[in-house]
Amino acid sequence: MNEIVTVFSAEFMRRLRSRIYVGATLAGAFFIALIIEAPIIFGHLADTSTDGIVLAGPAPLRARAATLLQRRKAFRVTSQLDALPKPVTAAFLDRHGKAAAAIAISEQHRRLHLDVYARDLAAFDEVDFRSLVPLNIELATGIQARALMPALRIDRTVRGIDHKFVDTRSAAFAHAVASGLIFVLYVAIIFTSQSIMASVAEEKTSRIAEILIATISPVNLLTGKVLAAALLAIIQIAVWVATAALLFSSAIGSIFEGSSSGLAAADAAQASRLDLVDPRILIAFTFFFILGYLQYATVFAAAASLVSRVEDLASVSTPVMLPVIGALFAALYALSAPETPLSITLSFVPFVGPFVMFARYAVENVPAWELGLAVAVNTLTVAAAFVGAGKVYQVGMLLYGKPPSFKQIVATLRA
Amino acid sequence: MLVVDHIQRSFGSLAAVSDVSFTCGRGDVFGLLGPNGAGKTTTMRMILGIYEPDAGSITWDGRPIGLKIRRTFGYLPEERGLYGKMKVGEQIAYFGRLHGLRDDVARRRTVEWLKRLEIEHLAGRACSELSKGNQQKVQLAGALLHEPPLLVLDEPFSGLDPVNAEMTLECIRMLAARGTAFVLSSHQMWQIEHACREFCIIDCGRVRARGSLAELRRALPTRTVRVSPDSSPVRAVFTAHGATGPTVDAEGELAYELPAGTDFGVLLREVVAAGPVDAFERQEPSLSDIYVHALGNGVARGVRL
Repeated sequence: MNEIVTVFSAEFMRRLRSRIYVGATLAGAFFIALIIEAPIIFGHLADTSTDGIVLAGPAPLRARAATLLQRRKAFRVTSQLDALPKPVTAAFLDRHGKAAAAIAISEQHRRLHLDVYARDLAAFDEVDFRSLVPLNIELATGIQARALMPALRIDRTVRGIDHKFVDTRSAAFAHAVASGLIFVLYVAIIFTSQSIMASVAEEKTSRIAEILIATISPVNLLTGKVLAAALLAIIQIAVWVATAALLFSSAIGSIFEGSSSGLAAADAAQASRLDLVDPRILIAFTFFFILGYLQYATVFAAAASLVSRVEDLASVSTPVMLPVIGALFAALYALSAPETPLSITLSFVPFVGPFVMFARYAVENVPAWELGLAVAVNTLTVAAAFVGAGKVYQVGMLLYGKPPSFKQIVATLRA
Repeated sequence: MLVVDHIQRSFGSLAAVSDVSFTCGRGDVFGLLGPNGAGKTTTMRMILGIYEPDAGSITWDGRPIGLKIRRTFGYLPEERGLYGKMKVGEQIAYFGRLHGLRDDVARRRTVEWLKRLEIEHLAGRACSELSKGNQQKVQLAGALLHEPPLLVLDEPFSGLDPVNAEMTLECIRMLAARGTAFVLSSHQMWQIEHACREFCIIDCGRVRARGSLAELRRALPTRTVRVSPDSSPVRAVFTAHGATGPTVDAEGELAYELPAGTDFGVLLREVVAAGPVDAFERQEPSLSDIYVHALGNGVARGVRL
């Protein structure tokens, strides 16, 4: 145990003070900040509204359309005109409250017709104009839109059976958080395992490995190194997640700042409620991250011990990387279909299980026995990975020149 | 006491060590000699538990060498290795902690050894900034910081200038006097001859000669006599005594190889009677002579402690 603690503390301090680690942590935080803040920065630079429109057309039709459009809070009508100039220019939109679009409304063959001139085509899809459906029916049938309104709304109460979330909004939010965390899980495992590989390769190329394995057991050496890297990774992820959480809360508010749209404001308030994140998801994330990381890191370390030069790392890391990529896709599948037999089976498969079980846990009520079995299988896998990797590590660290064949590695593992 | 008993080790079809045996008691300095690829490093690695012997046994004080025992040993491998970016003082203390020293003890001893090896001014420098010789001193300090009962040094004099080689030799003598056992290998014959009390010459994984310097000398079948000036009567005397040669050195002296059992007193009298003699010297075989002889024809084979 003392050996593990000694290696752990030395490795932790050595890498914590390294410029690469500090640089990567800060660069990651900066990158996250950039992603979150960029829309605000560019929004301010563009200085345009995203929901303002100029409405043009015959006055009665225009007025009723404006009422319907603003009732759903989807749009803010900045100006009403009888007709639009030809052509409609960005300067025209700027003059009318920096609107996002100009819409000419008319009646054609007893149907409503819209001509939309938008700065951003993707921002105006069909869904946005559903609020005008009553007016369309009124033109076709003569039935007053006001009378149609109650008939267009169906009162409903949806109750989930054995469902993890109280409503669909919470479920969607949890899904989004889980997707983000799975991506973080993937990136963290890739980055950290790569740094473990570099560390092992450095010890091998600097020839310090012989002293180390003459002094302490390879398994203890490997354990100390892997645990130190795990703690460093957790610190790194914590910095990134904290950066994202802090900036995300303020950014959402800023994006919708100044908007008169009540719905947008409500969305902003809802979206910034990071306290909606179930702490159990974060605990599960940490737990499954450690399980997954330990499996991959040991294999990566053993693989790194087989190369003689740092430059050769790519040749051994590629085959080990494939299961990580596979696990990412399996987890994304499990997120959308958590209760299928495939998702359940994948939860118990070593190396893939930590990803898939976390995905399932985040979005559904996983039976306790499945959770227990997945944890047991993956914990045993970690133990086996340490023993197997330790054997390969002991042999690999003293091998220089041509890497051993697959047959030799299997023979080493059997010894 | 270290007892290496008929150990063997192969790598695939290559027999790196076929049969090596020797003992090394506390306070002894044991020299392991042999050409490149003879099996010295593999033997050392087996002593340290890096490799398991395929056959034979290695014990320390009568017990098999497990993890707990080998952690008390010190090791300086042939291929030097340090963390390039780690500071010298931290590195030495880390090696001490790996061998079980408390942090404060490791730091205190680090300061002591840095002074003793005259590199205390380098304590705060990164190891990659040091010369090869100073890196070697750092490694040596790391290997002996925990005061090991057995120190295994693979080529400890390699890369050292004469002053630093002598300093290393002094450290070995000092620690041996305190009871540390040493197993060391070197191609620097002068240093190893002065450092070690016992020797084992191995080649192709087998022992070719083993014993103290005196025992190895006694087992050598020839002796060298240097004489000058050259003359036909003197040559005739040497031929009559069964000498081979002579070879002529840079100073013009002649060297004859004679059977070890030659009566050198009689030879001297006969040479003086045969002609003018300025110099007559019977040379004791050096370790280098014994080494070359053992590897050349194996006549020293079979010498036992």
